[in-house]
Amino acid sequence: MNDAVVVKNLSKQFRRYHPDRPWTVQEAVLAGLRRLRPVEHFWGLRDVSFTVAAGRVVGVIGANGSGKSTLLRLVGGVGRPDQGSVKVNGKIGALLELGAGFHGDLTGRENVLVAGVVAGLSGREVAARFDAIVAFAELEKFIDHPLRTYSTGMQMRLGFAVAVHVDPEILLIDEVLSVGDLAFQRKCLDRIAQFKAQGCSILLVSHEASLVRDLCDEALWLSAGRLMLQGPAGSVVDKYVAQVEGDGQTEESKGQHLTGPHAVSSPADESRVHPALETTSKPGGKTELVLNENRFGSLELEITAVRFLDSRRRAFAFLHSGSTLRVEIDFLAPQRILAPIFQVHIWREDGLVCCDLNTEGTELKATAVQGAGRVALRFEHLDLKGGHYYVDVGCYARGWAYAYDYHSSVYPLLIHGEGAETHRHAPHSWEIGPGVRSIVPELQTTLGAPSDE
Amino acid sequence: MTGLDAALLRRRPANPAHVWDLLRALIARDMKLRYKRSVMGVAWTLLNPLAELLILFFIFSLVLPLNIPDYPAFLFTGILVYGWFQTSLFFATGAIVLNRELVRQPGFPVPILPVVTVSTNLIHFLLALPVLFLLLIYSGVTLTWAVLALPVLIALQFTLTLSLAYLVATFHVRFRDTQYLLRVLLQLLFYLTPVFYDGSAIPARYQSLYNLNPMVFLVDGYRAVLIRGELPNAGPLAAVSVAAAVLLYVGVGVFSRASARFVDEL
Repeated sequence: MNDAVVVKNLSKQFRRYHPDRPWTVQEAVLAGLRRLRPVEHFWGLRDVSFTVAAGRVVGVIGANGSGKSTLLRLVGGVGRPDQGSVKVNGKIGALLELGAGFHGDLTGRENVLVAGVVAGLSGREVAARFDAIVAFAELEKFIDHPLRTYSTGMQMRLGFAVAVHVDPEILLIDEVLSVGDLAFQRKCLDRIAQFKAQGCSILLVSHEASLVRDLCDEALWLSAGRLMLQGPAGSVVDKYVAQVEGDGQTEESKGQHLTGPHAVSSPADESRVHPALETTSKPGGKTELVLNENRFGSLELEITAVRFLDSRRRAFAFLHSGSTLRVEIDFLAPQRILAPIFQVHIWREDGLVCCDLNTEGTELKATAVQGAGRVALRFEHLDLKGGHYYVDVGCYARGWAYAYDYHSSVYPLLIHGEGAETHRHAPHSWEIGPGVRSIVPELQTTLGAPSDE
Repeated sequence: MTGLDAALLRRRPANPAHVWDLLRALIARDMKLRYKRSVMGVAWTLLNPLAELLILFFIFSLVLPLNIPDYPAFLFTGILVYGWFQTSLFFATGAIVLNRELVRQPGFPVPILPVVTVSTNLIHFLLALPVLFLLLIYSGVTLTWAVLALPVLIALQFTLTLSLAYLVATFHVRFRDTQYLLRVLLQLLFYLTPVFYDGSAIPARYQSLYNLNPMVFLVDGYRAVLIRGELPNAGPLAAVSVAAAVLLYVGVGVFSRASARFVDEL
């Protein structure tokens, strides 16, 4: 009874379907019922075991797609594990999907009445706590206005306020502490500290290493669905940060990329010049990568950052048609992967495919990658006419067998000036490395793959 | 592991009082949403069956006269009963896909979502009943004790509709054009249900095939208790009850089996 949550050998499998998997009966019939079965299965979580003792605060850290949110959902009883078990002793409160049951056409008041019950309160309890909820959200003046007139921040505040008035014995928190302004964030953290003081057990997922260090007693480090390390929060976080910085692949170390041999601008510059791009390479930013929504693949190899740079290797707000574009793709391959194919696919807002290039035929064919690395595509002059474009990036298994990681509609590109509709044969060159080891010995000399930094 | 076991394992057992509170809150939400979007509120939900009544009455008493006694009351009974069935199933397609956040909420009993849909439409049905009674009085029909069987018919129709709603909601998660296919199917079934004509007019050799549609007996049952003032024919309704019970078992089973994957497919 001393353990609030006991997780044993938990595994969750995801199915990966053919990209043209039919979503309608009509398509399914036309496709002759082929492609309805998953192409392959991959593990979103593999053999994870841990215990949350009553009253402890446990943080979960790891890169995007490492299985943190999946883990939290399974502990909350959402979805079914494929192997292993989850035991929970106590009433669960969740800060996972803020504002579940909210509807824009209803007033704040009506939404609180529904969301409170959905969060686990009885109808009577919601009525009794209504004033406290509204006061916590600081929305007294707007509570009888329709929710769609609220800003996103206001909606999140209301959702958070409902969720923290549930008296949970076990609280699950997923990246929701970035709600609202700093003052409200402070308030949320105070509320969580209060829960902790009351003896509530907390399982918290965050990208912010410092938050986990400050708030948690223990930490779990997940990588590609596996539990890498667990122990006291401070030491786990330190090791995580050290590894991440060593590999140079997440937000904390983003500045290091740019201060590398070729970078000219400082990270601060970049975020000012191109806010949209800044968020793309920062997990938890505006365009968050969500598996099976804008991110697809087995994640055996992960694309950890994508940058657009101009001829002087600087970030930009927009590109002039005809000028040089450099697309840098950072990746992390925990296991050795032979001959991956990288793809860069530029398409216009209306869906027109403008340019589709890949590393087939480059020296990558005879290399293997392992650990963190980088691949860059340089367009000498990209003659696309002015407009909004998206650059999709992906990495595929040898022979295009399946995707390791594919980011779709995540990275916007703005072009100004006159140019062509499409530019399929844009003059370009691939730069492989650093970080890519050509480990096919007899080919090593002929390939001349760049060595590590 | 069977589907039902999975459903039981999947979430901690929900407290019945809380399930009841949830049903009330979600039904109230749906009602508010539907009325808020239209200026005329409740009248709007009545407008549709009334317009249907007017047109079918015009056609089948003036253009192609069917000479059925108390035709307006006869017609309106059919329209309301079939309307509840039709709109419930139509809205059931969205019960899961439009409530993605609820499905992802820890502790949320997902199987109540189709119940919410069918119940909301039951309320619309009940709100239209006074108009039907006015029509009955206008037609000079005398109500008898048989009208007390009405709740039984409603409960039976609720069960039948709900069991199909589970299947439809599950299917729509996988195939997102279910709603359009269903619209066509329900349109066809409308003609195979005695809404504007009398089922006894079906030639004897097609009768057994025709009777496979459970709505045939339900519509006739409502007419028996409301218009003819007699208890409905027990035999066929007992068969419909058994069919509804079996279908509900199957529907809930299929739904529960699939619901473990809803989170991944939404």
